[in-house]
Amino acid sequence: MIALPLHPRALLWTALYVLLLVGIAALTLTLGRLGVPLTRLPAVIAGAGEGTETFVLERLRGPRLAVALGAGAALGIAGALFQSVTRNPLGSPDVIGLGAGAGAGAAVTALLLPGAVPVPLGALAGSALAMAAVALATGSGLRHPGRLIVAGIGVAAMAHAFTQYVVAVLARDEASVLHSYIYGSLGARSWDHAATIGIAVALAVPFAAALAGPVAVNEMGDELADSLGARAGRTRTGAITLSVVLSAAAVSVAGPISFVSLTAPQIARRTTGAPGPNLAVSALVGALLLAAADLVVQQAPAAEGLPVGILTMALGGVYLGCLLVREWRKGVL
Amino acid sequence: MSEGNGPVLAAEGLTLGYGSDPVVRDLDLEVAEGEFTVIVGPNGCGKSTLLKALGRVNPPVSGRVLLHGRDIRAQRAKAVARRLALLPQSPLAPEGITVRALATRGRFPHHTLLRQWSPRDEEAVDEALELTGMADLAGVQVGSLSGGQRQRAWVAMVLAQDTGVLLLDEPTTYLDIAHQYELLELFADLHRKGRTIVAVLHDLAQAARFATRLVMMSGGRVVADGLPEDVVTARLVGEVFGLACDVVPDPRTRTPLVIPHERP
Repeated sequence: MIALPLHPRALLWTALYVLLLVGIAALTLTLGRLGVPLTRLPAVIAGAGEGTETFVLERLRGPRLAVALGAGAALGIAGALFQSVTRNPLGSPDVIGLGAGAGAGAAVTALLLPGAVPVPLGALAGSALAMAAVALATGSGLRHPGRLIVAGIGVAAMAHAFTQYVVAVLARDEASVLHSYIYGSLGARSWDHAATIGIAVALAVPFAAALAGPVAVNEMGDELADSLGARAGRTRTGAITLSVVLSAAAVSVAGPISFVSLTAPQIARRTTGAPGPNLAVSALVGALLLAAADLVVQQAPAAEGLPVGILTMALGGVYLGCLLVREWRKGVL
Repeated sequence: MSEGNGPVLAAEGLTLGYGSDPVVRDLDLEVAEGEFTVIVGPNGCGKSTLLKALGRVNPPVSGRVLLHGRDIRAQRAKAVARRLALLPQSPLAPEGITVRALATRGRFPHHTLLRQWSPRDEEAVDEALELTGMADLAGVQVGSLSGGQRQRAWVAMVLAQDTGVLLLDEPTTYLDIAHQYELLELFADLHRKGRTIVAVLHDLAQAARFATRLVMMSGGRVVADGLPEDVVTARLVGEVFGLACDVVPDPRTRTPLVIPHERP
């Protein structure tokens, strides 16, 4: 599904990201006191593991890793689509409050209405509401970068406050619950979570592939996109819908992890040197970022036990700061 | 590229704009194959709006646009885009894009989900870069080009689209005079090679020098249509632009040249 001729540099980086991803995955499963020794890993994956090994792979770290990869990929694609159609490196679902909105939706369905409504559906409703609130608050839809960010900060703050309220009323003694709904965390994930995000990503792939060409053309302006037969309005609606769905799916299994959808598409574009949305590489980088961050909070002494969302927030915050300064200097904001 | 004897492009009773005060009203226009038509008129006369409607970007309030005799709204967007290209006034260059990658985007209407990159695409892009003199700059980022080069990169993009008809919306805006003429010579060259061109231009001298047919608009209507020397007259320029002037023949090309009167 390639819209353009492939470039050696892009291929090289893609291969590198795949290798890194395999490396991070192997480290996640093997490091630490409970890690499965690397030499035993193939056998354990093949189903010939012993008690503890099987437990670590199948219950403790396997699903957690799968959720990290799936959610990271979903966030990478969501960010790439959104930044491309808003023609704005800051127009990312996490910056403009979609993640926080999805988090609030997930908290409400999981804690207030347990069992009545599936959590992913709540997350989807939350992110769609946040998206609508941002589009209304800017007074100009999603066009103006500066307004988008300011409105997004407001909507994210309200959504966070709402989540905190729900968690504080219903689960005041459970710090881990709070963590997963406010910051995003990959602690105690199950194969159900992995299946949810896996199915969401698998369903999204054909749509993303169909959108890749029109979205790239859309970057040149609505008039040119229309005249090239790419139908700008329809492309934008499709891309934003897919982005909202993928963000909500990621949040419903991992909480509102910030800054992966902001940074992954930019890293993908800058390293491969390829213009346009770079959906596949953004997915790879997103998966890599989230899996690597989660490896750090599992193994690094200083970060141990931290919800992974706090780490991505700390790293992404620095990046967001740099980006804001750059866009400010360019006069975009 | 010829398909029957009718006009390549035609507007029939075209009304454009919003609400009760349309920008263009009940306009008819036929563009024959091989013409270099230039549309001129004062600001706000509806010339850009008309061009966008011809390019299937503006949906008409009423009336229709025919491409090879068929309503463009009744044809698939990509099918129209394989026959007709529009270069808008201020297109956006995606960040970090090279000249070649930009030209490549012009191949979009030739692709489907199953049929992506092909040798024909490669050929069309090479050809477009060659024609615009951008082959040597193919690997350069569009953002780092000079104004004249950047505009040529955009022209390469619409040429890669490989259409018989080119619509150009004020393509020389923001360029210095030497680059304006360089670009217009390029269009004249493309016209000689068989492309049908419809351009909106501001400068009457340039319009008269390069057009094979001039269309003058005012208040959303066509007020004059014909050979440049019949359209650019002191009377019409006075009426349409409100500018008192003499019209003299260009000493080099004999096409009409507007000399405004000084203020009394």
